[in-house]
Amino acid sequence: MPTILHAIAGYFVLLLIVRVLKRRAGSQMTLFEFVIVFLMGGIIILSTVGNDRSVTNCTCAVIAVALLHRSIAWAKSKSPTLGAIIDGTPLVVIKHGEQQPEIVTGMKLRQEDLEAAGRSAGANKIEDIDYAILERNGRISVIPKEN
Amino acid sequence: MPAQPFTSPVEDSVPRVDNKVAVGENLDFQRKWWKFERAIWFFFFLILIADVLGAFGRGWLSKARQSDSAKTLTLDYEHIARASTPSIMTFNFGPNAIHDGHIQVYVSDSLVKPLGAQRISPQPAVSALGNGGITYTFDATQLPATVQIALEPSFPGRHYFRVQVVGGQPIEANIFVVP
Repeated sequence: MPTILHAIAGYFVLLLIVRVLKRRAGSQMTLFEFVIVFLMGGIIILSTVGNDRSVTNCTCAVIAVALLHRSIAWAKSKSPTLGAIIDGTPLVVIKHGEQQPEIVTGMKLRQEDLEAAGRSAGANKIEDIDYAILERNGRISVIPKEN
Repeated sequence: MPAQPFTSPVEDSVPRVDNKVAVGENLDFQRKWWKFERAIWFFFFLILIADVLGAFGRGWLSKARQSDSAKTLTLDYEHIARASTPSIMTFNFGPNAIHDGHIQVYVSDSLVKPLGAQRISPQPAVSALGNGGITYTFDATQLPATVQIALEPSFPGRHYFRVQVVGGQPIEANIFVVP
């Protein structure tokens, strides 16, 4: 029982902390992100299983997390607000070739990331981008200007 | 009877930008989220400060000292402890604690069970059960004399305990165990 409670608590703690970390533009994990993921996961597992490292205990913890994850996925599909809280909302970063300073500053985006996203869509300059959207998974979708 | 063709129109409920690109942007929500992020990071910072100071155990704020009125026994312990984490309770004996070459200390059961006394150093010469606890008898010559009990609480919560040198005044206190 304590393991299941610890697993649930650990899941929500990690969810909150990962959520309030900024979305990585380009959605590619760098070594910097690998350090965060492995370190936080390794720390939280210590309190989840405690001294009981039996197969039964670890299996119960994994099942608890899987069930919780599935329940939250179901709840997200029913509630757009919950989906926005957990996954965030897409944001328009560039509109008609102009950066949106509020979004760029708020999401701590770097000019290099925007230019890289533009290049991958065939836009050589920011001005050539009609719309650039920072997606919920951190990827930047670019729609170049037609001419 | 032939199946009816599916004729319901597909409705796009995702908000559009410039009535052109279906993005689903919710800027009002994002502005509220940025405010929440600022608040939560400040809260995280406060948690770290509290942890460094010992508000969650193992630090300056968690240390406590209590004595009986005659100073026969002075107890050093952590009044905020962590579950499944060792902490040390030290019994410092004062004048009148030694009788006939022995020190007798009574500890309540709560110190042994919920607070998880793991080991006692030095080992007592005699341990006697009764009166809702254990009375330890140590051979002693002269002061200063100390005994340490290693605690490892199993469950979070507030746990009361009572200790006393036999013949002296009891010390009643509690330890708050954080998860």
